[in-house]
Amino acid sequence: MSSEGARILVIDDEKQIRRMLKAALEGYGYNIAEAAFGHDGLNQAAIFHPDLIILDLGLPDIDGIEVIKRLREWTKIPIIILSVREHEDDKIDALDAGADDYVTKPFSMGELLARLRVALRHVAKTDDEPILNFGELTVDLAHRNVMLRGEEIKLTPTEYELLKFLALKADRVVTHRQLLRAIWGPNYQEQTHYLRIYIGQLRHKIETDPSQPAYIITEPGVGYRLVTRD
Amino acid sequence: MFISRRISINHYLWTFLSVIIVTIIGKLLTPFFNLTNIVLLYLLPVLISAVRWGRGPSFFAAFLGVLAFDFLFVPPVFSFTVSEVRDLFIFAVYLVVALVTGTMATKLRNELEKTRQREERTLALYALSQEIAAEADLPQVLETLVKTVSETIHAQVSILVSDPDDDVVRQAASYPPQHSLPDGKEQAVAHWVLEHGLSAGKGTEILREASELIFPVKAEDKTLAVLAIKMNNEEETVSPEQRQLIEAFANLAAVAIIRVQLAEEAEQAKWLAESEKLHRALLNSISHDLRTPLASITGAATSLLAEGNVYTREVREVLLHTIKEEAQRMNRFVANLLDMVRLESGILKPKAEWCDIQDIIGVVLRATKEASQQHILKVHIPPELPLVKADFTLIEQVMINLLENGVKYSPPGSEISISARYHDKMLLVIVADSGSAIPKIEQERVFDKFYRLHSTKNISGTGLGLSICKGIVEAHGGSIWVDSSPEYGNRFTFSLPVSEQPPEQQDTKEGAEHVI
Repeated sequence: MSSEGARILVIDDEKQIRRMLKAALEGYGYNIAEAAFGHDGLNQAAIFHPDLIILDLGLPDIDGIEVIKRLREWTKIPIIILSVREHEDDKIDALDAGADDYVTKPFSMGELLARLRVALRHVAKTDDEPILNFGELTVDLAHRNVMLRGEEIKLTPTEYELLKFLALKADRVVTHRQLLRAIWGPNYQEQTHYLRIYIGQLRHKIETDPSQPAYIITEPGVGYRLVTRD
Repeated sequence: MFISRRISINHYLWTFLSVIIVTIIGKLLTPFFNLTNIVLLYLLPVLISAVRWGRGPSFFAAFLGVLAFDFLFVPPVFSFTVSEVRDLFIFAVYLVVALVTGTMATKLRNELEKTRQREERTLALYALSQEIAAEADLPQVLETLVKTVSETIHAQVSILVSDPDDDVVRQAASYPPQHSLPDGKEQAVAHWVLEHGLSAGKGTEILREASELIFPVKAEDKTLAVLAIKMNNEEETVSPEQRQLIEAFANLAAVAIIRVQLAEEAEQAKWLAESEKLHRALLNSISHDLRTPLASITGAATSLLAEGNVYTREVREVLLHTIKEEAQRMNRFVANLLDMVRLESGILKPKAEWCDIQDIIGVVLRATKEASQQHILKVHIPPELPLVKADFTLIEQVMINLLENGVKYSPPGSEISISARYHDKMLLVIVADSGSAIPKIEQERVFDKFYRLHSTKNISGTGLGLSICKGIVEAHGGSIWVDSSPEYGNRFTFSLPVSEQPPEQQDTKEGAEHVI
């Protein structure tokens, strides 16, 4: 995998977590740098040139959200939040501030590794592919065409925009606000029922069992994620 | 009872007038009747004035009658002289009859008046006792009390309750509402009455220079409050009958105050007992439910550390799985405890967002995939269910708890079904398992904190899951219940109110045409 050997900066004040992450991630061939404070983390991000940052929100000196904002002033390095804060508002704040993904502690290493790969893959992908593949689902951006198991699916313009936005951010969580802003405009950021209705319709068209969706996964209270089924 | 002088002069005038009327009538009748008949006419004003105005006017009527009769009817007319002894006899008999009937009628009238007043008071007392017995709120009780006292004895009335914390009397209620106890002397009297439990102020032996009568409200030997009374007519003082009445009112007030205080204390005591029970249950639960998984984790981890190379790959896997599962169990427990604390402390306020119950069920199925793989899951959600305003993650939590319960308490391989329907402005969600039915008497209690079914004590659990469900559902304005039977197992149902629907949304500008 191309992501192996990537440089990862871990910003977390818990020594045990850092030790465990270092051991586990180095086992997968990643290069690890550590920081226990927000300021130190910001410095390391400039010196170590990481490909990805794993960030804890509860830092002793500055809040993790602040760290995200300062990083986003100059870099697009993927940031994955790893925090005990499990409330949806915290996740939304971090994602809206510019984090790429969110994993709550306690976490499974398998899940963290999967999210790392997704984030790194997105960085590696530079060319704009006009056709996006998600297993049996294909979105052809050039022709505004959606195919499921080789058959074309008829979508309304809104449904299509929704699917396209999720597809372009595949495997990453997209918040309600980001979706509403992108598709309905900044005045509709609070109208979550639009999303409920259109996601429901979309699922009825593309999912085999809409109550057990395989493509559009709900991130409770936060948003949605379109998953690649390989 | 005092009657003012002006009124009493009026009564004598009326008496005088009635004698004149009788005299005129007598004069008109003279050609047809003899004198003994005429004298009977003069008994009429005596009786009327006795019944209406009392003894004085009736005696006045009697003497006036004698004089008028003598002067105008008894020959020689227009002279007070009496020519015949027979006429003197008539006078004497008339006077005796007039005085006796006058006295008796007056007595009767007074008795009647007293009875009427007694009845009025009894009624007032009865009405008050009825009213304040039904009232649990102390200020309300006191307001009713002062109003009734004020209306019954025609006075301005306040009640002042002692505040044990800073040694002052607080005015608690008064009627009319603007009546308040003036500062200074009256306040001092109120303090004195509170301290000594005796009435004082105007019309009493003690501190009589005060402008109000201050009356203690006592229960046994404790003075709970004082009544301050100021007659509407400033010159009047409180009569002994009124004092008796006030005393009766004060006794009623005391009973009411004590009752409210006792109710408050009982509530407090119940709450304390409840919270102590809860604390004990919480301690037991924490020590057991946190230590048990910790023991497994420590055991497995130390085995792996100390092993050398004695363990086969399979054994190592078992130990590692133990660590993982027990850590997850601890995490669930901590999450439950946190949820409960949030619910209890009122921090948890549901976010009202439009939710699609199908979406929530989808998330729940994903989250419980691993736990429920030994069971057959059936999902039945009709299309076109309305959106519901609820907190997505909290309702998700409710459903996860219900589903995990179903998995835990029903045999592997059995069926668990999830269904939803809309009925009467409520969205109903039902999680049914085919485990052994919960006995009827325990069906209510399963939603209590830390309550575990007697039949399932051997299955590990904290007794928190369902109480959290209940707390969350009720915070949404819904309810949760279970019905069980040996035929179908247990059906947990919760309802969420569907009060309104979001505004319809048209598809984007391009219209609803399909994309090609």
